[in-house]
Amino acid sequence: MSESSLISLAVTILLLPLVGFFIVLLFGKRFEHLYKLEVGIISVALLLSIYAGFVKLTSYVNDTIIAQFTWIDLGNVPTIGHLTVNLGIMIDNVTIIMLFVVTLISALVHYFSIAYMKGDIRFSRYFAYLGIFTFSMLGIVIADNLLMIYIFWELVGLSSYLLIGFWYEKKSASDAGMKAFLTNRIGDIGMFIGILILFTNYHTFSFTEIFNHISNGVVPFGSNGWLTAAGILVFMGAIGKSAQMPLHVWLPDAMEGPTPVSALIHAATMVAAGVYLVARIFAMLTADAMLVIAVVGAVTSIFAASIALTQNDIKKVLAYSTVSQLGYMVMALGVGAYTFAFFHLVTHAFFKGLLFLGSGSVIHSMHHEQDMRNMGGLKRKMPITYITFLIATLAISGIPFTSGFLSKDGLLAGTWAFGNLTGHYLIPIIGFTVALMTAFYMFRLVIMTFHGEPRNQHKYDHAHESPKLMTIPLIILASLSIFIFYTPNPVAPADGWFYNWVKAPQTVVPEEARFEFMKSESHEIEGTVNNDSHGGSGSGSATITHSEMYEHAMHAVHYPAMILSIILAGLGILFAFLMYHWKKIDADKLAEKLKPLYNLSYNKWYVDEIYSFLFIERLLDFSRFISWFDATIVDGIVNYSATFTRGVANITGWFDTYIVDGLVNFTAFVSGFVGLSFRKMQTGKVQTYIVYVVFSVIIILLVLRPF
Amino acid sequence: MDFANLHLSLSNILPEISIAVFLMLVVGFDLIFHEDKKLIPYLALLGLIVTGFLVVRNMGITDSAFAVTSMNSGGMVAVDPFSNYFKLIIILASVIVIFFSMSSSEIKAIYKRSGEYYALMYGMILGMILMVSAVDLILIYLSVELLSLSSYVLAGFTKLRNRNSEASLKYIIYGSAASGMMLYGISVLYGLTGATNLFEINNILQTTQINIFTLSFSIILIFVGLGFKLSAVPFHFWTPDVYEGAPLPITAYLSVASKAAALALLIRFVHSTFVGYVDTNGFWDMISVFDWQTLLIVIALFTMTLGNLTALWQKNLKRLLAYSSIAHAGYLLLGLAVLSNAGMSAVMLYFLAYLIMNLGAFYVVMLVSNDNDKESIDDINGLGFSSPLLAVPLSIFLVSLAGIPPTFGFVAKLNLFAAVIDANLITAVIIALLNTVVSVYYYSRLLKHMYFNKIEDTVAAIKVSKTDTTIVLILAGLIIFFGIFFNNVIEFVKNSAQLL
Repeated sequence: MSESSLISLAVTILLLPLVGFFIVLLFGKRFEHLYKLEVGIISVALLLSIYAGFVKLTSYVNDTIIAQFTWIDLGNVPTIGHLTVNLGIMIDNVTIIMLFVVTLISALVHYFSIAYMKGDIRFSRYFAYLGIFTFSMLGIVIADNLLMIYIFWELVGLSSYLLIGFWYEKKSASDAGMKAFLTNRIGDIGMFIGILILFTNYHTFSFTEIFNHISNGVVPFGSNGWLTAAGILVFMGAIGKSAQMPLHVWLPDAMEGPTPVSALIHAATMVAAGVYLVARIFAMLTADAMLVIAVVGAVTSIFAASIALTQNDIKKVLAYSTVSQLGYMVMALGVGAYTFAFFHLVTHAFFKGLLFLGSGSVIHSMHHEQDMRNMGGLKRKMPITYITFLIATLAISGIPFTSGFLSKDGLLAGTWAFGNLTGHYLIPIIGFTVALMTAFYMFRLVIMTFHGEPRNQHKYDHAHESPKLMTIPLIILASLSIFIFYTPNPVAPADGWFYNWVKAPQTVVPEEARFEFMKSESHEIEGTVNNDSHGGSGSGSATITHSEMYEHAMHAVHYPAMILSIILAGLGILFAFLMYHWKKIDADKLAEKLKPLYNLSYNKWYVDEIYSFLFIERLLDFSRFISWFDATIVDGIVNYSATFTRGVANITGWFDTYIVDGLVNFTAFVSGFVGLSFRKMQTGKVQTYIVYVVFSVIIILLVLRPF
Repeated sequence: MDFANLHLSLSNILPEISIAVFLMLVVGFDLIFHEDKKLIPYLALLGLIVTGFLVVRNMGITDSAFAVTSMNSGGMVAVDPFSNYFKLIIILASVIVIFFSMSSSEIKAIYKRSGEYYALMYGMILGMILMVSAVDLILIYLSVELLSLSSYVLAGFTKLRNRNSEASLKYIIYGSAASGMMLYGISVLYGLTGATNLFEINNILQTTQINIFTLSFSIILIFVGLGFKLSAVPFHFWTPDVYEGAPLPITAYLSVASKAAALALLIRFVHSTFVGYVDTNGFWDMISVFDWQTLLIVIALFTMTLGNLTALWQKNLKRLLAYSSIAHAGYLLLGLAVLSNAGMSAVMLYFLAYLIMNLGAFYVVMLVSNDNDKESIDDINGLGFSSPLLAVPLSIFLVSLAGIPPTFGFVAKLNLFAAVIDANLITAVIIALLNTVVSVYYYSRLLKHMYFNKIEDTVAAIKVSKTDTTIVLILAGLIIFFGIFFNNVIEFVKNSAQLL
């Protein structure tokens, strides 16, 4: 298979869901079973992407395939020259893996939804929306330029909005949709500015061309600071979409949407788009930008984990867990652990998708009960859901032999290595603390839901295992959470094929803006050889990627990190069992003792309240102030002047009556006359029209004055 | 006369010949088949397809026909990419309008006379395709008259209502006055220069001192004739009355095809007669005898402003579209006012977009009025629910007319305004943009009527034949398609913007 047919295959995969969307949207009402078409289309897309992945990874494993076409030809632009806007498709290993992940989870969610959404009044529309979402997500994945990413970025935003507010009769759902959309907007503005900074300087949106410019020593507006700014601004898009601090507030609310949607969009794929974006621009991130990204990720991960500890709504726990895990990935990219960040993205997509679908299965069988305090003992009623859910929980907690162990362990080793190399030890400390917390709250969730005695007998009696359409996706995802799919050796991810497929791209930023440990060795020699006038030295060093220092540092801490993370995960699980299963520690008493901390966590650190206080209330205050100003000052002046005017009025009265009124009446007369003549102009009398023409000719002649 | 030259000339004007031949065939058919007129529209379509094919065959040629060897350049007719482009536009418009006529109830009512109808339409076509390629004042005048006379008759052809005849009468009186002025202008110009060939006049203007006032006078008079066809303010007064009174297919035809011909003629007249040379950036260096730019900008701005402001208050759909087409003539003139190759190709692109969206909008209005014989804006209330297959395409046409992405109308407008900005006519662009904003109001008012103004009793869906639905959907699809993939069409237009 040639490269061009691989490209057309990717385009086909991209367009299939769009076709499904249009057909189901337009004719879904008339033909009840049309949703099957959408499900079939997505299955075909899945098969095609497996095939594409097979071709790519066997025949072109080290190639990046790019196909571009000119979208807009702006012609010759003064001071720039010939300017075109190109769109294109880029297929590398990351793309091909993401194609598989997105289509697989999308397909499984489609199957799951057939059972889950049964009987919904807008059943076919739901599938249409899933189609447009899949299309947009695939668009992000195969884009080779920032503009296309931005376009599809907004499209996933739209489909997310549509699906969160799918049950728009519920006010909370439609509010949540709006909140998600508006919050994302804030991040997207930053992203757009960042993209425009790059476009203004490089006149292209394409990643490879931008990177080429940077590696040739051309930085935006001639300063590394602008390069940092561009990186951080584009990252702002990721802050919004991947629900990082401080824009994470929309994701927990987004759980108002149907649960399979939460699994697809708000756990596995769309929220990972932010991480994907950062991975795409990884090569142009300066040390400062990376540090910002790492800190944002770290803070987000511990912050969200601390909230997840105390939530009682099963989906809320999972939502905060998602935020926390996304923080992990972002942090990993920030510290330079590119491969493991992406690895974690993939494994997380599977096990978190599984957790959400599992919770969907529970919620479905409990007749839309989401509060864990009303559950308990479900493992006897729903054995398949329980076992698959448990596997995912083990994976997210980082227990050996699971996929999560592989990726999380590597990721934590990366942060540790980063700490060793730069002295930023806070980041690995946070990383490991979060690992402990994750294990704890996830097992708390499992125990409260599946173990112990049923707390609500009535609901328990009606609970039942979900139909096959729902359990089979669970089983598939559970098997993908086992280590064997990624590496033959369960303790060494570096032996796996994944590690060989996904390599961190070469950084292109100028030497002086890199981390110490990322500087290329050739730097020292270069001073004596060929020094270009900009002082930039990227061209000479482009052959060397990361210096091997980072690899070494990671290797050195690999086993310590692994042992530490296993111990911490074990501790977390132990605490969870102590508190919720064996009841050795009374959770309520502990909460009472740590009242302020507990409240802080339970109320989500009051972030919504703070935003409401800081921004929404202030805005209202401002409006109130304006209204007060209007009522007191303006009206006061008006009233005062009224009194004053009354005095003057007598004097001016005469003037008014005779002079002003005379003028006003005259103006009214004139405009009335003009208006009348305008109306009269279209008289319908052809002879008048001809008179106008003759007069117009004379007027034109006078205006042009050719004499 | 040299016969080799004659032979070449004849092969260059094959499209015109083909139209003339089919005109006679239509008349002959009409006489032979007294009762059964079903075949005539198909014969007309066939003629257009043949002609279209001949035009495409001529596509690469840049030549002239009937050149007299004693004169330095140019003959009567120019065969160049520019004229071929506009010929294709006219043929495309004619094809759509023939389909239009076949399903219009107004034309069905005069089934017996449909032979004459199509013959007259062919008369218009012949006039128009001569107009876009004429380079001699005499041929220009003749072709304009040929177009006018046929369209006068067609405007009142159906005689179903009084206003048909009224429209026709107004049109003929107004048109005769305008063409009289134009003829006067032509004769004055001939008197000043002693030539009727545009290239020769150009030559004389560059070399000889001429009384500027008289010359300007003659140019303005000629402009009256063209402005009348383009319905540029202040020569637009006939437009609303005639558009409202004429049968719908003819209204649509007048608003597109005859405008195309007049526009092409104006461009050629300005370019061939008054351009000294074209500089490297594609800007036209005008012979300084007449201030074309000021005239065109002023007329353009007045035209679009008046068209848009008046359209705001219209209750009748045909009248609304009439004023909207006046406004669009303003945009087109503004593009020409740039006086550069970029401006010219922007105008040509804009016209293609205008053709599709305007004919599409008229088509839907026709289908609606076929059904209930009404054309008021209230008659489309709830159309979005009763006949979505009409309402959605109409919405696309309206959105495109308003110039909102992702439609062809947006691309065309962007291209046009970019050309105007390049020429540093910033004030003009600002006024044009404000105009666009105004136009969004009345276009979206129609959308509101279709989707938000529900009427109490549910309306029955409008019955539409499959052919009509297909045509409307194809037109709407083209609008969206070119709104997204527009590079090739822009490239095509740029290549076509070459005058002899």
